[in-house]
Amino acid sequence: MPQHVTEFTFLEHYAPRYGIPVPRHIPGTADVAAIRKRLEEWGGKAVVKPDVVSTGRGKAKGVVIVENVSDLMHELKRISSTDVGDRMPRLSYLEEFIPSKLEIYSAITYDTRSLCPSFTVSLNGGADVETIPDDQKATIPIDIFRGLDAYQASDLLSALSCPSGLVGILSRCFVAFWDLFVSTGLESAEINPWRVTPENKPYACDFKATVDGSNYKSRVPGIVIPEYPQDLSDFEEEMAEWNAKSHQGQAHVSDLGGKGILPVLFGGGVSTIITETLLMHGGDPMFLSDFGGNPPYERMLGTAQRCFSHRLKDARLLLILGGKANNTLIDVTFQAIADALAGWVEKHGRISIPVIVGRGGPNLISGLLAMKKTLEYLGLPYVIFGPDTPVTMVAEYAARLLHEMQGSTENHDESKKP
Amino acid sequence: MRAKSLKDLLKKGDRVAVSNITGREARKVSSVSQCYCGNITGGWALGRGGQRVETPAGDIPVFATFEELLRYTEPEKRPNKILVYSPPEAVYGEVKEIADHGGGIVETIYIVTEHVSIEVTAKIHQIAHSMKMDVVGCNTLGIINTRERVRIGAVGGDNPQESFKPGSVTVISNSGNMVNTISSYLLSSGMGTSFGIPTGKDRLILFPMKDFLSLASRDKGTKIIVLYVEPGGTYEHDAIEMMRQEGFGKPIVVYVAGEIAERKGISLGHAGSVVEGGKSSARAKMEAFDDYFGIQPYKPHHHYRKSAELSASLKRGIRVTALHHIPAAVSLLTDTIGIKRDFGGAKPLFLNPWFVNLGELGTHLPQKLALSAGTIPEPYKTSVTKKIRTAGSGTIRQPMRNCSHASSNDGATPRIYGYSLLELMKRSSFVGSLVLYLTGELPASDFEERLAELTLTASLTNGPGTISAQGAKLSASAGNSPNTAMIATLAAIGTVHGGNGAKAVDFLLDRFEGTDIDDPYAKHPGIGELASKTAFEFKQKKLSAKEAGTEYDRIPCLGHPVFRTDPINFDPREQVIRDFIEEQGKTNVFLEFYHCLVKALKENGSTPHVLAVNLDAAVACVWLGICWKSLRSGKMTTERAKDIAFVAFAIGRAAGGAAEFLDHQDFGTEMDMRIPVSECRALSGPRNL
Repeated sequence: MPQHVTEFTFLEHYAPRYGIPVPRHIPGTADVAAIRKRLEEWGGKAVVKPDVVSTGRGKAKGVVIVENVSDLMHELKRISSTDVGDRMPRLSYLEEFIPSKLEIYSAITYDTRSLCPSFTVSLNGGADVETIPDDQKATIPIDIFRGLDAYQASDLLSALSCPSGLVGILSRCFVAFWDLFVSTGLESAEINPWRVTPENKPYACDFKATVDGSNYKSRVPGIVIPEYPQDLSDFEEEMAEWNAKSHQGQAHVSDLGGKGILPVLFGGGVSTIITETLLMHGGDPMFLSDFGGNPPYERMLGTAQRCFSHRLKDARLLLILGGKANNTLIDVTFQAIADALAGWVEKHGRISIPVIVGRGGPNLISGLLAMKKTLEYLGLPYVIFGPDTPVTMVAEYAARLLHEMQGSTENHDESKKP
Repeated sequence: MRAKSLKDLLKKGDRVAVSNITGREARKVSSVSQCYCGNITGGWALGRGGQRVETPAGDIPVFATFEELLRYTEPEKRPNKILVYSPPEAVYGEVKEIADHGGGIVETIYIVTEHVSIEVTAKIHQIAHSMKMDVVGCNTLGIINTRERVRIGAVGGDNPQESFKPGSVTVISNSGNMVNTISSYLLSSGMGTSFGIPTGKDRLILFPMKDFLSLASRDKGTKIIVLYVEPGGTYEHDAIEMMRQEGFGKPIVVYVAGEIAERKGISLGHAGSVVEGGKSSARAKMEAFDDYFGIQPYKPHHHYRKSAELSASLKRGIRVTALHHIPAAVSLLTDTIGIKRDFGGAKPLFLNPWFVNLGELGTHLPQKLALSAGTIPEPYKTSVTKKIRTAGSGTIRQPMRNCSHASSNDGATPRIYGYSLLELMKRSSFVGSLVLYLTGELPASDFEERLAELTLTASLTNGPGTISAQGAKLSASAGNSPNTAMIATLAAIGTVHGGNGAKAVDFLLDRFEGTDIDDPYAKHPGIGELASKTAFEFKQKKLSAKEAGTEYDRIPCLGHPVFRTDPINFDPREQVIRDFIEEQGKTNVFLEFYHCLVKALKENGSTPHVLAVNLDAAVACVWLGICWKSLRSGKMTTERAKDIAFVAFAIGRAAGGAAEFLDHQDFGTEMDMRIPVSECRALSGPRNL
């Protein structure tokens, strides 16, 4: 999951470092007296916002303007506990209300056509960029080595017919925005809107960004990007933690809520295709997994152990499937999965679910035979395919087998479990 | 884009250099590539200059830096293609160095590294663009040019020729695995590949789809293009725009993955598979392709009637909704448009299980789900047969750091394979306990135990001149302690001296494979015939090898340096063992086979005399007899059976080495094993520095 920077982190850490003008603010967790004092200082009008990771203009729905302490305290409490989209806020905060005569949109992202950063501006701020007509927004490429300079920014603003009194000050703000972007390892960032006061003072009044975790600059000294409440299961949380421990082999899972097939899958693309095939044919997969990337034995063992400890007791069918690997060693990965399976049975007792296996790649035969030996040792029914049978056909077969078993279970037998 | 055709990205004659070549993966991939096409002229890795990466096809020189590699490589071998395998943090520095020193030499850089930051990726693009170098990646797997049998990177894994047969389809894929997988599926439609290209699927794809398609349209060897596409980015829309504008002339079969995953809110594995904005979704890409092709996605059960309209659509291509429909869709294209298949014998893909054991469950399933084992295709079939023979099936693998089947100690009783050592001390012999420790089972009878003892006794010595005894004596002469002398004895045993027993077991297992012998100590009527057959085959092999002027495999454990000139030769130690077996009214089928074999070899003219069956053979036959039951039941691996024959000899000889040491220590003079300078001969003349 990419890491996101919200407006609250921007207000607290990023904006002061790069000299970007922002409204004054205070977290909703502060003393009531301090909050009351701030509201008075700001002229009795403020905005209550949730600190939440949201897509599009989602957060706007959770924003409320307040003009007295009683409403303020009520809204701080309400907003901090109200989902925005399907996301729970980390906290709520209070921000000075900025009166504006103009709202401006700005964003920096990497453009897949020009293969460099690009800067987009519109004088119709406060709206989703996709809803702004093309003739009311402008984009320029940025030289990755030279960066965005004030002349480029002012040319862009002039081209959009920006009031001349604002061009200079906004250009300086945009250069500061670029400095922030490139110095903190961001992948995309949006300040929307800049609210320009009647006195021609711009304030960055909302911010969101995605961090490029592969960029060492994203680990900014003194800044810890907070964790946001996510709707993750215990399994996903444990696997995410395990995944983050090493770059050797992926250990990525996403829960799907299924109750049928426990899928141990390999390869970023293949695992998606297999999961889609299972879903299409009623395979009811418990999660999507991607365990490719040539994991060493210990890594694969740990991954499989975690999958089995969370889900094997509820599974109706175990599917171990991947395409024809280029790098991943099949003997190493399959031995580890087989050992994890045997270890689980030793601890929890025998099971009798079928195991469907399909794979291709380096050291295939040793891997398949190791798996076969373990399945025989555990007395589990199995079908093992080689790379000459397409993964989608194997997935389809597994889904149909599950479907058949569920039918016969309903009719005959409820005891397919340990 | 510098390249004007796909061949400009890789062709025969291109020279490849690999960064970080001493890394785990780069080393392995380079070794396979070198065997496949031998196009790597060098590599570099910081701090590893002067090393060499060994491959079966010859060593690859390693330099400290790219600049050094260029400096010390002859001009005609300087690399025009670079494969970057460096860690993410080092990739920018590597590309900078390539650009600084490789201008005018390097044409294409393939970056395999994952997790390269988007900022660095953009910088790489700018640097390479200014130097007129193409960059493929990051996170690509390389490229393969099947027609010219060359590859860069890991495309095709450790056996590229298996999936990539020369043909007329170019596979371009966001997933490296899919290039390999799709290419192998295509073989079922009688189509091979021209190029296999994994684009990588980072946020920025530095060699985008439209550029690859543009090159593929100009590639004479490419008649059809197969695309595997994931959500994220607008590369496909750009490609379709290009195809519309330029009137693209080659048919495309495309599979777009990720639609259901998108709907379910699942994030895909690749960094660039992130949907931002409507155009980058899987659904939008599917619709864009369908619109471009002007035909509904391929339906496997639909009867496509040939018509001008169908032909016109298929000349642009068709989308498939399942991966395994690709070969059938390609067949539809070839049949409708009139493209010749690359080879005959095509058959549709089907469920072909290699191993099946559905047990009780199978009896409740309808026929179409109760699968039975199909045919394992070559070369896997041979490999399976061989592995099954050697793998054993009694136990499963597990981490063994703190556990053992062979021994245990619960704090009170040490045990060997579960038997109390204390009881063994009281009721068994040393040899009986040793058999247990080596094989996991006690000797089946006193006869077996005595046979084992005979082999150990016979292995003690063959006189002080044997290499192993000399090892002990050298050690004593140097003033070492007894354990060092025993190690010296063991160190002087090898494949030629003492190790032949393992080869004999291997040979016997090969010969006795498929026989129905349960009891190795009972007479077996077919032994003479088996020996004659073996002698005949050996003679044929020997004659063909002589004609071809090549070497041939000798039969292990025949002949003896001392007992070799009589019409019929015997090793006296082996004779004692054989006589004992006969005295007991038994036989050892393996030893009898050996004796029949030496006679048959003399009879068919392969040898001038009846060779001696030597002690190594006797040791091997005795221990193979002891292990036979466990081997037949799959409880023991053939590897263990082979090693036991060697170990039995080594145990006897190590004890013998200790005895030689004790004798030499008591009676030898200091450094008496040293050869005087006057007796040493110089085989090279003096040279000046």
